[in-house]
Amino acid sequence: MSVVAQRILLELWHTRRSLVFWVLFPALMLLLFGLIYADGEGTGDSFDDMAPSILIGAALFFSCLSGVITVLVGERERHTLKRVLLSSLSGRDYFMGIVAAFCVIAAGQAVIVYGIAYAFGGRYHGSLLLGTVIVILSVMAYVGVGFFFGARFAKSTEEVNGPVSAIGVPLLVLGGTFFPPDMLPSYLYKATHLNPVFHMNEALREVSAMGAGWAAVADHLLFLAVFAAASLLAGTRSYQRMMAREARL
Amino acid sequence: MTSEAAPAAGATTPVLAVRDLKIAFAGRPVLDGLTFEVASGEVYGLLGPNGAGKTTCINITCGLLGADAGSARVAGLAPGEGARREIGVVPQEIALYRQLTCMENLLFFAGAHDVAVQRRRERAERCLEAVQLGDRADDLVATLSGGMHRRLNVAVGLVHEPLLLILDEPTVGLDLEARQLSWELIETLRRTGTTILLTTHYLEEAEALCTRIGIMAGGRLAAEGEMAELRGRIPAAELGVIHAENPGEIERRAEGLGFEYRTAGDAVTVWLPERRRLEQVAEDFAGLSVRSLSVRPVGLEQIYQEVTAVSGRLAV
Ligand SMILES: Nc1ncnc2c1ncn2[C@@H]1O[C@H](COP(=O)(O)OP(=O)(O)OP(=O)(O)O)[C@@H](O)[C@H]1O
Ligand SMILES: [Mg+2]
Repeated sequence: MSVVAQRILLELWHTRRSLVFWVLFPALMLLLFGLIYADGEGTGDSFDDMAPSILIGAALFFSCLSGVITVLVGERERHTLKRVLLSSLSGRDYFMGIVAAFCVIAAGQAVIVYGIAYAFGGRYHGSLLLGTVIVILSVMAYVGVGFFFGARFAKSTEEVNGPVSAIGVPLLVLGGTFFPPDMLPSYLYKATHLNPVFHMNEALREVSAMGAGWAAVADHLLFLAVFAAASLLAGTRSYQRMMAREARL
Repeated sequence: MTSEAAPAAGATTPVLAVRDLKIAFAGRPVLDGLTFEVASGEVYGLLGPNGAGKTTCINITCGLLGADAGSARVAGLAPGEGARREIGVVPQEIALYRQLTCMENLLFFAGAHDVAVQRRRERAERCLEAVQLGDRADDLVATLSGGMHRRLNVAVGLVHEPLLLILDEPTVGLDLEARQLSWELIETLRRTGTTILLTTHYLEEAEALCTRIGIMAGGRLAAEGEMAELRGRIPAAELGVIHAENPGEIERRAEGLGFEYRTAGDAVTVWLPERRRLEQVAEDFAGLSVRSLSVRPVGLEQIYQEVTAVSGRLAV
């Protein structure tokens, strides 16, 4: 595994505080919404439905997006950014290292979320490979957005929490994380097709809850793949920008 | 630690060769023909007042800034040609991951500098030994003392076996004890043959640590040599600094006594050819309009003043 990924995971492991919240948050959200949407027949269907969007829309959003920003702000605050920029690491190494670290976190969150769903009768019905691809593309998209903001604007963590909650949380809601997007009025439903969270949620929900195959989610996958590629590009450019502006002794 | 030469470096290639470096910011020249070399095993001290361009020179050497003209090569390599791999930089600030152990910090930076996987641990252990932190390898950085942070900060700069270690003002803002510890560490590195470029404001620091010193003024070196040579430019054992209502009187008395002097404002600095007690100096200048009088060792300021006066340029 890349040294960057190892380092991020080790640091998280030594601190553990954020790990606790990254477990607690999706666990509570899934329990809550799984029980809210349960009907007389039992909880199986509602947990089937909620597990994928709670994982991808809620759990990954908070771990990846705020996690990446914390990583970058931390590098700045501790002056390690200079050392990183002076090393042989390329922007791509660095970005993909962060993605790899958060894929590991995402795997952990998936185990928790589906473990809870399983206890309430929910199941994963689709192809595991396809689900993994969707999760990896989603992690890349989140890391890309987080990296963009972290690299450009974030000098301290407080500075970021506001905008992330103010803009991010509505996007989650609009993306159908907490309720099916067909409940949206038609103009909002159309608008949300530009929202990557919508495509993540829809793709994983169809695969996980309905057992859909590659062809059925091809549109969502395409959108996510393009968004992920753009994220990588933006990430490497942000890195070069940091190099040009911040790599000074 | 840095004894093996890079493949590109012949026996006579200096570790660092800075040639005719020029850079201007907003039309104001900061480096204006800076030239010096650092040979293998040397500890070279780059001295100069605030804003002289020391850090700028380091930034160019590391490829973080582009020069307007001239070159800075490490082992014959320009920054774009892999020179960066041969440089270990120790930033002035502590730049470490607090939530990792000492060992984990070193392993990460070894990896970031492309040290082969199977050599990383050995390198990390060697560097920890070199800064006497061998027994703290598995302690979190957050639990170390300030002095230990400083030492680990240097160790990280060494982990990829660079040919040149660059220390930018390694002791600025440190208390006396911490400075002493840093000096000891640099001294140890010098004995093991590490080639070092260090910048500093402090003459004593350069004197204690450096094998050679270059003094910057006006964007280039105004003087260069071993400390003894540089001190030789002011043939005085000590300096008497006299503030007076009427500096002219002091000057005339100094002349009468056969002392050299320099005047700046109301202060006359008299070069005392041998050590004298304060009372003796007071007696020498008795009966004049002396406001205050002190005796001090020859310092960097005097050498600056001398070399900049000689080179006909103003210190920045
Ligand atoms: N990127 C930059 N843009 C504009 N001016 C700069 C830049 N970098 C340095 N300077 C200017 O160049 C001059 C030299 O700065 P430098 O940091 O190299 O000095 P220094 O010798 O390291 O000083 P100090 O002892 O204070 O660290 C200063 O006047 C500084 O303001
Ligand atoms: Mg400086």
